Amino acid sequence: MSDTAMERLTSRMPKFLKRADPAVLTAFACILLLLFLGSLYSSSFLSPAYLLQQLKVASFLGVIATGMMLVILLGHIDLSVPWAVAMGAMMACAAAAYGPVGVALAVPFGVLCGMAIGLVNGIGVAYLRIPAMIVTLATNAVAQGLMVVYTGGYSPQDSAPDSMRYLATGFTIPGVPNAVVIWALIGAATVFVLTRTSFGRAVYGIGNRERAAYLSGVDTRRVVMIAFSVAGGLSAFGGVLLAGYASKASQSMGDEYLLPAIAAVVLGGTSILGGRGSYLGTVAGVILITLLQSILSVMQMPEAGRQIIYGLVIVVMLLLYGRTPANR
Amino acid sequence: MNEAAPLLRMEGISKRYGGVRALERADLAVAPGRIHAILGENGAGKSTLIKVMAGVVAPDEGRMTLDGREVSFASPAAANEAGIVCVFQELSLIPDLSVADNIVISDPPRRFGMIDRTAQRRIAMEALARAGAADIHPQALVKDLPLSRMQMVEIAKALARKPRILILDEATSALTAADVSKVFEVLKRLRSEGMALLYISHRMNEIEELADECTVFRNGSNVATYAAGSKSDSEVVEMMIGREYSHAFPAKPERKPTDETPVLEGRNLSWTDRLYDISLSVRAGEVVGLGGLDGQGQRELLLAFFGVLRGLTGEVLVNGKPVSIASPAEARQGTIGMALIPEDRKTEGLMLPMTVRENLSFAALDHLSNGGVIDRAREQSLIDDMVKLLAIKTAGLDIPVGALSGGNQQKVVIAKWLMRQPRIILLNDPTRGIDVGTKQEMYQLLRKLADAGAAILFYSTDYDELIGCCDRVLVLYDGTIKRELVGAEITERALIASALNIQGEEAAMTEGAGA
Repeated sequence: MSDTAMERLTSRMPKFLKRADPAVLTAFACILLLLFLGSLYSSSFLSPAYLLQQLKVASFLGVIATGMMLVILLGHIDLSVPWAVAMGAMMACAAAAYGPVGVALAVPFGVLCGMAIGLVNGIGVAYLRIPAMIVTLATNAVAQGLMVVYTGGYSPQDSAPDSMRYLATGFTIPGVPNAVVIWALIGAATVFVLTRTSFGRAVYGIGNRERAAYLSGVDTRRVVMIAFSVAGGLSAFGGVLLAGYASKASQSMGDEYLLPAIAAVVLGGTSILGGRGSYLGTVAGVILITLLQSILSVMQMPEAGRQIIYGLVIVVMLLLYGRTPANR
Repeated sequence: MNEAAPLLRMEGISKRYGGVRALERADLAVAPGRIHAILGENGAGKSTLIKVMAGVVAPDEGRMTLDGREVSFASPAAANEAGIVCVFQELSLIPDLSVADNIVISDPPRRFGMIDRTAQRRIAMEALARAGAADIHPQALVKDLPLSRMQMVEIAKALARKPRILILDEATSALTAADVSKVFEVLKRLRSEGMALLYISHRMNEIEELADECTVFRNGSNVATYAAGSKSDSEVVEMMIGREYSHAFPAKPERKPTDETPVLEGRNLSWTDRLYDISLSVRAGEVVGLGGLDGQGQRELLLAFFGVLRGLTGEVLVNGKPVSIASPAEARQGTIGMALIPEDRKTEGLMLPMTVRENLSFAALDHLSNGGVIDRAREQSLIDDMVKLLAIKTAGLDIPVGALSGGNQQKVVIAKWLMRQPRIILLNDPTRGIDVGTKQEMYQLLRKLADAGAAILFYSTDYDELIGCCDRVLVLYDGTIKRELVGAEITERALIASALNIQGEEAAMTEGAGA
């Protein structure tokens, strides 16, 4: 009965809406709702300057969530985000301390360190068959240990070079922060990879049914390994941007990105079990989380309250559309 | 003939899944003390009907009456409560629990809130005894039992729920012949106790032996109900497919012994304790069957060729050259050109939630892309060719492949490999659970592919298929090839004798008479 009502409803909608995932639409609707609620509190929530600032802040999370999405699409999870972020930031800043060559190689070096973490994750998951939850948690601990050894337990002394600051806060296109441009480029590349390449199809295939993908002749282990490496690299790149934004790296800078990254992906309609989801949804999820954070902090909600609200939002969203529909 | 008032009556039941009509105003009446067989092609609506009856799906329209009172079931538990219990084709047992745990899983006997293990064991033993499987120990772990015993546990589990209507959906497909006859005795006893039984099977001889009446389904509706034995097999098949039952198998070309190099050859293949010293060869244009009882190593042999098994010893030769195939990815490569149609299309052949398009091109993406980027125009044209070639019936290319009927799903599995134009095709029981019409199309296709030069290795549990399709049949027993049957030697009798590893005089005599 509700099926036919739904069909009647969808038949009236324009084509692009009909094709869209209801989860993505819900996420965008929530963004509008948040902005509306915010504007009741203060009209400055609708000012272009505020929105652009939010978009800039969102782009750090966006870059990190992109990698997380790849891994979740495979049906795995990456819990090494916190120290992959911190390691990327710290290593990039450290490299920048070695003269002009170091400055030039700072960003690639940071990203490479993150990819190394991701590679270990990928090898662990794909070849050694360790559950992703375990291996990524372990690499996170190892990365943390390495960074503590490197800094001696104090906050890192190196500061971010100008190039990193420019990436995060500069303007190449007038009016649009570079961080946003970078996220847009990474996003466009991800959409292309996911929808137009055999790698993307393989990711969805593995997420849906790894055995069927394997028996179809896809080198599933290689795909998984590459996806984890890319995810590690993107986490580190997110850290590089953050260090540029804050002018320096810090010990726990990645901690506040793990849960939001997973939340953004899941809120955007990507199935936590893998195989289903669109990048547009992740974009919506990232913006939604960022706005939520911003509005809560403007309302002077303490950190503890924010954490509780995140958790609740994720549970509620999962209840709304994260479960497989009952087959009745 | 039907004096007893129906226990359960279904009237005008319809159910749609998206755009697909699974049931269209279907009627059925089930009387106590009778065995009622339901026949029909896959996709004819049998499974949906049963799911409606068992509370697994809710019908869009229609009404159901039990004992004359109208009922609707919100869940399988509600249907169980009303006395309708279903044994599904797929096993629903939990492998790591004991037999007794599994039998009482939905409603374990309790004492002070804890499970009463003594009572549980008693219930389990009673149920097993009623199912004619008293030899199964209730404390044994399900995973330690062979498949046919698991199926018996499944039946015992259903009986423990004290059903008034018992539905068996292809429940004998995994049973050995000895178990089937035991189950039949049990079912006949249950019938005499006044239980109503619904029996769904693709095996005509089983239905003939067991059923009191039969209902044939086609395209979601019941087309005929008749007393068992009043129609001939070909009449029944005609009703099922709604057209003349033409020649089931294409003609086999005349074959002379040649010394041309086989396309695929295995020498002394061994793997753990499942395969032992197997040597075989398949030439271009040949359809070679693998016979024998289920689980004698046929599946492992196909996986071994396809590079799935680790620790395989022996030699594999393609076109006379030794190759080492370490994964399906290597097996499908151009120089080898191998394809495997796996056993279970739902978990091994397809990604059910993904679209028909994505599934069709999945195995051939390396051919369809430049530098990893998919050439969508080429993909589309190849997919169109395949849909036309195999007559795949689908409402569109962008619907989930899981929405297609079983036969069409299997066509997608085959099409996705044909897109690579393989020269070696391995098939693992590709017609299991598929309707008659699609089966016939598949036989034609196999022969066509062979005539076009493919080497085909074909495992089937259906002896008729082996007889009708294959130029040669290799019969496996306990991981070795016991016998090779060529041409006219391939008879049901020879197949069964060698499958049971009977090297007795009888088999030898028929062979002698044939020579």
